[in-house]
Amino acid sequence: MPELSELEQQLRALAAEIEWPATPALGGAVRRRITSTTPRSYARPWYERRWAMAAAAALLIAALLVAYTPTRNAIADFLNLHTSINRTNVLPTPSPLPPGPLGQRLGLGNRVTLATARAGVKWAIVLPSGLGQPDEVYLQSPLSGPPQGEVTLVYGSRPGMPVSGETGVSLLITEVRGNVSETFFGKIIGPGTTIEEVIVGGHRGWWISGHPHAFFFTGTDGEIRDETLRLATNTLIIDDGGTIVRIEGDLTKQQALDLATSLS
Amino acid sequence: MEGRPADDAELFLRAQRGSVDAYEEIVQRYQQVAFRTAYVITRSAAEAEESTQEAFVKAYRALGRFRAGAEPRPWILRIVANEARNRVRSAGRRQQLELRLAEGFRPGDAAPSPEAAAIASEERQRLLLLINQLDEDDRLVISSRYFLELSSEETAAALGIPEGTVKSRLSRALARLRARVEEAATSA
Repeated sequence: MPELSELEQQLRALAAEIEWPATPALGGAVRRRITSTTPRSYARPWYERRWAMAAAAALLIAALLVAYTPTRNAIADFLNLHTSINRTNVLPTPSPLPPGPLGQRLGLGNRVTLATARAGVKWAIVLPSGLGQPDEVYLQSPLSGPPQGEVTLVYGSRPGMPVSGETGVSLLITEVRGNVSETFFGKIIGPGTTIEEVIVGGHRGWWISGHPHAFFFTGTDGEIRDETLRLATNTLIIDDGGTIVRIEGDLTKQQALDLATSLS
Repeated sequence: MEGRPADDAELFLRAQRGSVDAYEEIVQRYQQVAFRTAYVITRSAAEAEESTQEAFVKAYRALGRFRAGAEPRPWILRIVANEARNRVRSAGRRQQLELRLAEGFRPGDAAPSPEAAAIASEERQRLLLLINQLDEDDRLVISSRYFLELSSEETAAALGIPEGTVKSRLSRALARLRARVEEAATSA
């Protein structure tokens, strides 16, 4: 009857004699898989998405209708396209901004109140102090965005923060549940763009200065997602315990860090 | 690189920065312990290979969540074991394949007499048989600690349990194995 220690000794001795199946060489296969797929392809293919199928069908129907001459004429009449346009020499009032609601232009989702946004997501939305309430709040639904939605706070103009000529706003703060995918930082570093790791209130963060255009993160469903950075300017990303907070604006690093520190 | 092999932390850092070469090196370093861990869970070489490969692909996608300075082995093994368990669950069946002893003597062993070798081999076979007959939890914790030679942290990661639970679970598993060994000895 072996004592416990003796039993353990026997088990240790047995380890060297276990007949394991030959370990397959996986390096090549794994390499092929990770290099043959782009981050986008981790999501379901476009043709499997219902909305994409519906959009494709609608486009096809529209194209067929427009190609058919009587229909085209009917549509043109309806839209009054056959009316000649009289041009005037009066120049329009210069407008630095393209037309349309900001949220639509930047693809931020639906404009909602802050209270609606708070009710629509499962995490506690954080706001910087000292800037007052955001001028506009947008909520991207899980149907068209990340699995738990995405919230964007828009600050039109604030002292000491330049207004973007493209968007007419000073600051965008985007919040989404997920994890920052550092693996793909290489893809957002272009000429003149640098990434510096920072710590804000005990949370990891990254100060991306220059002209980053994209950002990658892992959503709560495990899929890698890439998103366009709307202002294509200095950006601070904070991993706030599972909520990624993105601060975009023509800010100095210190301004961005101060804003991040004040989030509550 | 002057021939000095990069340590694991350095490889993970390089992989996080997008080096596929570094990640391939990581796969090569960890594939044996990962594959064997999956094999212990799935009891199938084919399932173990597929789940290990899948786990390495998932781990690559999740590299951003790997904290600098953390131990890579438990992190990798947790992903591998999760994948293996998911495969067992989705297969809805248990493989019958059991751990077996390799033929012949271990390298470095003094050659025993044929009779002594036969007795020792029989004892080891009997012990392994008893382990294979244990409950899944007991079999897995013993296999992880003694056959895969995982640390307590790695065992916790592989079994998906808190590290503090590993010791108590192992202790109970050994007690049950010991009881079976005693039972077998008295009935022999």
